[in-house]
Amino acid sequence: MTGQISYPDVTQLAVPFFIAAILAEFLWIAVKHRGGRYETRDAVTSLIMGAGSVAEGLLLGFIAWALFMFLWELTPLNMGTSVWAVLACFVLDDLRYYWVHRFGHRVRWVWASHVNHHSSQHYNLTTALRQTWTGTFTFMMIVKAPMVLLGFHPALVLFCGGLNLIYQFWIHTEAVTRLPRWFELVMNTPSHHRAHHGRNPRYLDCNYAGVFIIWDKMFGTFVPEQDHDRPDYGLVHNIATFNPLRVAFHEWAGIFKDMSQPGLTLKQRLLYAFAPPGYSHDGSRDTSAGIKAAHLARHPEDAGTPGFGG
Amino acid sequence: MALELLLALVLGGISGIAVLLHLTGRSRQAVLGIETARSGWLRHFPGDRVLKVLPAASGQAALVLTSGGPGLLWAFGADTVGRHLDGSNTCETATGLRFEFNDFAAPGLSLTLSESERRQWLALISPPAETA
Repeated sequence: MTGQISYPDVTQLAVPFFIAAILAEFLWIAVKHRGGRYETRDAVTSLIMGAGSVAEGLLLGFIAWALFMFLWELTPLNMGTSVWAVLACFVLDDLRYYWVHRFGHRVRWVWASHVNHHSSQHYNLTTALRQTWTGTFTFMMIVKAPMVLLGFHPALVLFCGGLNLIYQFWIHTEAVTRLPRWFELVMNTPSHHRAHHGRNPRYLDCNYAGVFIIWDKMFGTFVPEQDHDRPDYGLVHNIATFNPLRVAFHEWAGIFKDMSQPGLTLKQRLLYAFAPPGYSHDGSRDTSAGIKAAHLARHPEDAGTPGFGG
Repeated sequence: MALELLLALVLGGISGIAVLLHLTGRSRQAVLGIETARSGWLRHFPGDRVLKVLPAASGQAALVLTSGGPGLLWAFGADTVGRHLDGSNTCETATGLRFEFNDFAAPGLSLTLSESERRQWLALISPPAETA
């Protein structure tokens, strides 16, 4: 299948909007004395991570592009570029995002790339830009392959992926509490995504949605934000550095260190790379399941509530 | 978008936001007292039982004695981070103590401590071996 189609790089075009929105959110917080927190080094680190992520895309984006164009040449299908095709591609891409994001929390190899997005103890619009520098090395671009084989042009697939990321920018805020009920039912919102960023046991491994929260409801990973258990942002084991290089690579370094321990079987070495985060061959660490179980042992009254089987 | 324009926007945006945040007081460090350090530690390690908390006079950090051994909690911007001290190295410096955590996500930390604080902390971190 051949064809010259091009769409704008919407994430680059959105940069002025990102800056303006960050300033607006900061002013809102400063004036109202509520709706979030800003810290200089945390915000600068997040912004540098965002810039680095764009740079990574410019430098390594050709790898994914080459794969997609190879598949595009193979497929006999062509969905075209009608409005309906764009809408279908957007929805399918959001489903794709849900699963990549879920892998990003459940497979340590992918988590190594995604962890930096969760590494801030703050939750504001700069956190949205704290993006990975190592996404290419997770090979998760392969999850977009079925869309290309279904006949969605690679340019359209990347365009929809960009729109998805832009949508997710504005939900990284505490300035918006709850939105109208119908919107909260269908769409990913600041409330749903705050829960996703919570390191509280209740919120571990929930709300993977990009744009439509319906995926979490369909696949059983939805946990509504609880007013009595406000999300505590950051990682279960928070990092102690603002250095962007350490932020970007710390989990990769951890994988290497764990895999290269002496005396492990091949299976144990592979599990350190591909098992859920928190796996250890000797049981010295906790996965999210272990953390939830330990919480319930301390707080049995939470059993059966959202995030704990409720 | 032209690369030059993108670069200017990114650099200008980051610099401008950094200056704005700093000038409006968003660079202040957390200050740790006994209660803030205790609650801070339990936030990071909810399964621990805290036995004793010794904040540094500077408020920059606190030594936290737990049922699982000693740990260090320190100011990390407006927030805190903590590490258990098993597997870490502690050495004296001219002005206090330096901690190496052997953790890529937690580079070494130098703390300013008075002579008496330094001795007390060292004694609690590495108590002398009991004699038979």
